[in-house]
Amino acid sequence: MKTYNIIFTGVGGQGLMLLSSILGKAAVDAGLEVMTGEQHGLSQRSGSIYVHFRVGEPISPIIPYGTADMMIAMEATEALRYIEYLRDDGVVIMSNRVMPSPIETAELIADKERNYVTLEMIEERVRTVTSRVVVLDSLGLAMKAGNPRTENSVLVGAACACEDFPIPVEKVREAVLALVPPKTRDANSRAFELGLKAGASCLRE
Amino acid sequence: MTVEDVKREDHGPALMLTNEAVVRAALEADVKVVAAYPGSPTSEILDTFSEVLTHFGDFRMHVAINEKVALETVAGASMAGMRSFTSMKSVGMNVASDSMLSMAYTGLRAGCVCLIADDPHAHSSQSEQDGRYFGEAAYVPMIEPSTAQEAYDMVKWAFEVSERYRTLVIVRTTTRVNHQRGMVRLGDLKRTPFKRKRWADVRDSYFTVGAVARELKARLLEKVKRIREEFEESEFNRVDEGEGDVGIITAGVCYLHVKEAMRNLGVSLPVLKIGTLYPLPERKIADFLKRVSTVIVVEELSPFLETRITALAKDANPSVRIIGKRSGHFPEMLEYNVPIVERVLAGVLGRETSVDYDAVLERAKRAKEGVLPDRAPIFCPGCPHRGTLWAFRQALTRLKIRDKIVFNNDIGCYSMAFLPPNNFSDSMLAMGASVGLSAGMEMALEDKVIAMVGDSTLYHAALPGIVNLIHHNSNVTLFVLDNSVTAMTGQQPNPNSTYDAGHTPARKINMERFFEALGADSVTIIDPYETRECVKPIMEAIQRPGFNVIISRRECALYGDREKKKRGEKIVPSVNDKEVCRNIYACIREFYCPAIVIDESDRKMVIQQDLCDGCLECRQVCPVDAPRRMEVRQ
Ligand SMILES: Cc1ncc(C[n+]2csc(CCOP(=O)(O)OP(=O)(O)O)c2C)c(N)n1
Repeated sequence: MKTYNIIFTGVGGQGLMLLSSILGKAAVDAGLEVMTGEQHGLSQRSGSIYVHFRVGEPISPIIPYGTADMMIAMEATEALRYIEYLRDDGVVIMSNRVMPSPIETAELIADKERNYVTLEMIEERVRTVTSRVVVLDSLGLAMKAGNPRTENSVLVGAACACEDFPIPVEKVREAVLALVPPKTRDANSRAFELGLKAGASCLRE
Repeated sequence: MTVEDVKREDHGPALMLTNEAVVRAALEADVKVVAAYPGSPTSEILDTFSEVLTHFGDFRMHVAINEKVALETVAGASMAGMRSFTSMKSVGMNVASDSMLSMAYTGLRAGCVCLIADDPHAHSSQSEQDGRYFGEAAYVPMIEPSTAQEAYDMVKWAFEVSERYRTLVIVRTTTRVNHQRGMVRLGDLKRTPFKRKRWADVRDSYFTVGAVARELKARLLEKVKRIREEFEESEFNRVDEGEGDVGIITAGVCYLHVKEAMRNLGVSLPVLKIGTLYPLPERKIADFLKRVSTVIVVEELSPFLETRITALAKDANPSVRIIGKRSGHFPEMLEYNVPIVERVLAGVLGRETSVDYDAVLERAKRAKEGVLPDRAPIFCPGCPHRGTLWAFRQALTRLKIRDKIVFNNDIGCYSMAFLPPNNFSDSMLAMGASVGLSAGMEMALEDKVIAMVGDSTLYHAALPGIVNLIHHNSNVTLFVLDNSVTAMTGQQPNPNSTYDAGHTPARKINMERFFEALGADSVTIIDPYETRECVKPIMEAIQRPGFNVIISRRECALYGDREKKKRGEKIVPSVNDKEVCRNIYACIREFYCPAIVIDESDRKMVIQQDLCDGCLECRQVCPVDAPRRMEVRQ
């Protein structure tokens, strides 16, 4: 099997590790070989974080530049920050959320004319690398599912909509239910389906 | 989650973080005593042991005060006949090495394993220190895995080697090995009950000085000879056969980069993978050198292997061409990856890389240019350090002495005082160094000398320096940031906590009483959440002659929130009252809370509810009290 590379990106505190655990379990349950390169370490919230996730026949824990088949970004600017990992026409599944950093906020008060970087500006730049970009209102969909903390399930669902995604949807769905806190299972299950649907309609366009 | 796999009673495959696989291996080896001090990238080892401590109940564990004490603790347990384990980050071994070099002489008894993790790229360390020299310097065997599986296998083997030769064994890793998740084939857990031994049954002499030391050294050299023979035959040093007369020698995570780079290039060169860094398999290396005309040495950081390989080549194959750092092909700093290795291999073999990595990087650089904002590390919402540093700066401004002080910072979350918005710290070297440096500066400078330590750093290495300052009548103001835990590495307990590993009870050390007992001229306790109120006492403590201590006391927000959740308390976020807000921006300037943003429509500050911790430090710094607690419907 060809190795399928996914890079997860986001901001500390967003639950990237859970995302990686879910896909890890799903892949193992599907009998696939998995390897990840994770970023633990300094425990502060709000920093930039990533996980390299590789399925198939990975050897190194770090994805070589230009070879990630998919990027799942829980925050939009963090998609652009690691864009060198994406291959030509790789799939980007990104949340529409832009979390301004305090440095940027300080720049805004220093210059009254300045505004925050927008989703559109980020998306335009991401599109210089690939045309396959799925932007999701992950928070909105999570709220629709009944729990704002189910954004990861929305994004995982959208990833499963991608035709060359190597892990069977059924296994991912099971892993979501197995790993989220029991009380949130129903909401996560709805979030997963909403993500799957939203991903499918974006990718078909 | 994978801590379940650590606890699993049966054998079989599991997807594990290397740090978890290491714990599982030690448990399978029936480890009985564990002691460690946290430090990235090893902290999850300590955390995992701690998490399973009461589940097993058949081993004992300390979150030790520092790495030296941790190593001595496990050495003591080994002398007492119990298998023991410690782990530490690269620089931790600097602290522990004093005892480490002596215990090589005396030897130990039961299996005793120490994992040290280097951090190429200094992701979360003060230097890129290369710890591979410690094994050789101490005559202590050192082995290095590449994957989670190999780390698991090597830890189990390390216990056997340690027991066979009655020596400490070091397992050396790097960040990309510790934080790699992969499949591990677990063996059975055959734990035995914890039972104290009697010294009479295990007694031996562990004493070294002068004539004894000389005799022990001679025996140590004999021991190393025997270990060298065993390592020479070890399957952890192996040749992956390949074609041609260009060969590769590598170890650790670089082995993985090499294998993937070769696959990308469609080539298969012979590779000698080194698993034992000390003693090195010199015969295997010599044999390998004899069969190639060019050898590529792939290793991060210093040319450790390369220098030794070059020495061996003198007899084995003087004409062999050695490609490495000294030839200028590989850098002596930062992390390696597949592209870095692939480029060199492609160059030597006269091929193209599988991807035009430079073009990819160039395109990414252009995509980011002018758009991508920085996201530097920053204090969490609710962090007490934010308030302490704000009050500290206010005090200096009001005293008009911002240019007349020297500020020696130390290691912990508060190190970020060096970054925006504070941009403030004159030094930071190593844990506890702030107080040592202060002694010299206090003698040599006209300026007021101010030092800052966290509670973990206070006990780890600052105490001797503090006693030294007080004893020498030094004029130094010391901030102690008492946030209850060792925050930066994941909120582990320390002597300032009421509990130890596995939440077992421990005695909290009363720091204000020991400062008084040591003879500090004053000890003032402030609450950084009462940020405004902190300024005056700080001004006084800075102005007062003598050794004056300010204890800033408020628990780490991440830790506090977790405790609140356990107690069933809600976190109530704050809101900015836009009617009151006058766009002064004190909450933004020199404050930098990630929950605070600007509403572009009216340029007023807004608090992001899902990020806010409800600490209201922002209200404290607001001249018009605009931020307030959100009304919550009960
Ligand atoms: C010798 C050594 N051991 C471990 C570390 C890893 N380390 C970095 S920061 C830190 C925690 C310091 O805790 P504390 O002083 O209480 O500050 P806090 O992070 O809680 O603010 C540790 C253990 C290190 N840098 N050096």
